[in-house]
Amino acid sequence: MAVIIEVLGWGGKRRKYFKVDADQVSIGRGYDNDIVLSDPHISANHLRLNACGEGWSITDLDSLNGLQVIKNPSTDERIFTSGAEIKLGRTKLRLVSESHPLEDTKMLHRLERDTSKLNRLSVWLPLLVMVFVTQLTSVYTSTLAEWEWKNTIPVIISAQLVIFIGAIFWSLVGRLVRQEAHFLGQYSLILLASLLFTGCGWLLSTLSYNFSSVLFGDMAQQLVSMSILFLLLSANLALATNLSSRARWSGCAAFVGVILIIGSIGQMKSWDEFSPFPQYSSTLSAPPLLVVKGQTTEQFLADIVPLFQLADKAALEK
Amino acid sequence: MIKNREAFAVVRMALIGILLWSSSICAQNDIARNLFADYKSAILQIRIIDLTSGSKSTIGSGFPVDNSGLIATNYHVIQLAATKPQQYRIEYLTETNKVGELRLVDVDVINDLALVQAVDFDGESMQLANREPEIGMPVYALGNPLDLGLTVVPGTYNGINRASYHPRVHFTGSLNPGMSGGPTMDREGRVVGINVATAGNQISFLVPVRRLQALVSDYRARGAAIENMQQRIGEQLMADQQQKFTALFARNWQGIGLGEAQVLDELAPFVKCWGGSNSSDEKAQFLSADRSCRSEDNIYMTSNFATGILEYQFIWLEADQLNSWQFYNYYERLFGDFAPGNRAGEEDVTDFQCDHGFTQKPSGRQSKSVFCLRAYKDYPKLYDVLFLQGSVDDKERALISHFTLAGVSQENALTFTGKFMEVSQWQ
Repeated sequence: MAVIIEVLGWGGKRRKYFKVDADQVSIGRGYDNDIVLSDPHISANHLRLNACGEGWSITDLDSLNGLQVIKNPSTDERIFTSGAEIKLGRTKLRLVSESHPLEDTKMLHRLERDTSKLNRLSVWLPLLVMVFVTQLTSVYTSTLAEWEWKNTIPVIISAQLVIFIGAIFWSLVGRLVRQEAHFLGQYSLILLASLLFTGCGWLLSTLSYNFSSVLFGDMAQQLVSMSILFLLLSANLALATNLSSRARWSGCAAFVGVILIIGSIGQMKSWDEFSPFPQYSSTLSAPPLLVVKGQTTEQFLADIVPLFQLADKAALEK
Repeated sequence: MIKNREAFAVVRMALIGILLWSSSICAQNDIARNLFADYKSAILQIRIIDLTSGSKSTIGSGFPVDNSGLIATNYHVIQLAATKPQQYRIEYLTETNKVGELRLVDVDVINDLALVQAVDFDGESMQLANREPEIGMPVYALGNPLDLGLTVVPGTYNGINRASYHPRVHFTGSLNPGMSGGPTMDREGRVVGINVATAGNQISFLVPVRRLQALVSDYRARGAAIENMQQRIGEQLMADQQQKFTALFARNWQGIGLGEAQVLDELAPFVKCWGGSNSSDEKAQFLSADRSCRSEDNIYMTSNFATGILEYQFIWLEADQLNSWQFYNYYERLFGDFAPGNRAGEEDVTDFQCDHGFTQKPSGRQSKSVFCLRAYKDYPKLYDVLFLQGSVDDKERALISHFTLAGVSQENALTFTGKFMEVSQWQ
């Protein structure tokens, strides 16, 4: 009966495997063994496997560091059946038979199938130009003083550098995990997210300027940026790793959750803290962004009356 | 010869002048010396004793206004004992080092006055002047500056100062911490004012003696000490703001030009306006002109809390070399930078509650209006109000209007806001 011996790496992943078609298999560091392992903690002739019904029996050949059983599906502890894991020295081995069941074949992620579309210069370049233009516009409209290129270029270059480093990081991860870098694809994803982020930010701030509703307030802005981060991360992961979609979603959710928690801890200090200064909305946008009509003075005065009751209530709480 | 004689005459005149001048100084010193000798037993050091540590926390001065041991001082001297009677008591120390207990019987927080009663006081009392001295008359302030012992400070009476709604006597002389609550007397030893504050450089302020007379007769008419000091203070603040705003609303609210806009001019003689612009700055990219008005009324509540101020401010902006987006960025930064002009702490007031919205004048001018207020925790129905308005429909020009009212009722705050929005116009 053939036996497959898998050498396991980090996280139980298979690093390499040996297939031996014999009833007796010897394992050790010595070159006379059927399976030769290089771990210095393994003895020259460490152990021997003997086929025995549906499994194998193991004989320790008086090794220095012995044998440690990690997992054995068999009910008889002297017999090791397919799927058993043992440890010799520092090396973990799994014994598998040819008929060992396999996991279902995974479908390629949509993004991966379309990756050829994304991983193209004709996608990346227009995106890059668009991001460049939005950044330029955003810096231009937020200056207080005379426009000077020397003040603008460092800002834009450093933002582009951050995006570039992000793309490098993910393509390195892809190269290591899947032997596929998808550099332009990763780059395009980050550019796309940055465009989305800027667009949503502008839309929300214009809405919140016109309609003072909590729907468009700081909370909404945070929620939107976290959602974009979540989508971006899970897309990056889908391109760079083999994670199942469930693992990917939950990993990204956990990451975004941690960021939210850290953010809230930072704000916790100011909760319930007295301030002698009023916290009011000071946003003023150029006239083209104002679409609502103002109320009359009388309406405004009527609208602020409830503030007095609110303050009275706060005063009673002391 | 003739020349010599003339020279002699000049020298003689000069000598006579010096003699006269020194004799007048001598006379002044004599009066100061006599007043000091006559009244030193009547000037008391008022001390606020912390019950936990047993030591004095604050000192000031005070003087008896009648033979029963009714003593006048400043509210700010005894404030700790008035607001935290369970933690502080008041005592006096005479010039002969006699110590006695004092009981707070009444206050006038608006004029920074307090009356305390000594139980077995046998010192002399001081006479209150019935007439205001003429401007330029020498007067003498007495008190215990910095715990250095009784001191007399000669100075000049300069009349009632009109720069504040609550009248104060302008005294040209140096008042120092610890002299608060002491009397300032004329040559005959009659009290013309109560030492209260200094603005440095020989400019000091006294509470006019009329205010003390009013408080004393009010107390005598009632015949009993005030039980609930907090309520008394709240009533005084409420009545004072009512009187002040009724008077303000009765006036004609005049506009004055600022840029292309009309803004509120000096509302009353006690409201002083100042202004400026960046027009002389050659590097300026935009034009800014401002006008700020305020009344110098700070009603002392605690060391960390003052009320009673009224201030308003207007800023006219023109984009000049900035484009519309840059101009609005600058404008927004300016708009976000407003704060109330009075101090207040967590013990005294709530956090600000704010509301904002767009308002439109009949002329079509659109503005963003912000209204913020905080309530007083110990004095119900009194608020600090901050109002802010900025025009939002012109690409290159803008007007910011702002006011702060400290210690105002809801009704007066709303009326003031309405009138303010009406007068400050930019057609």
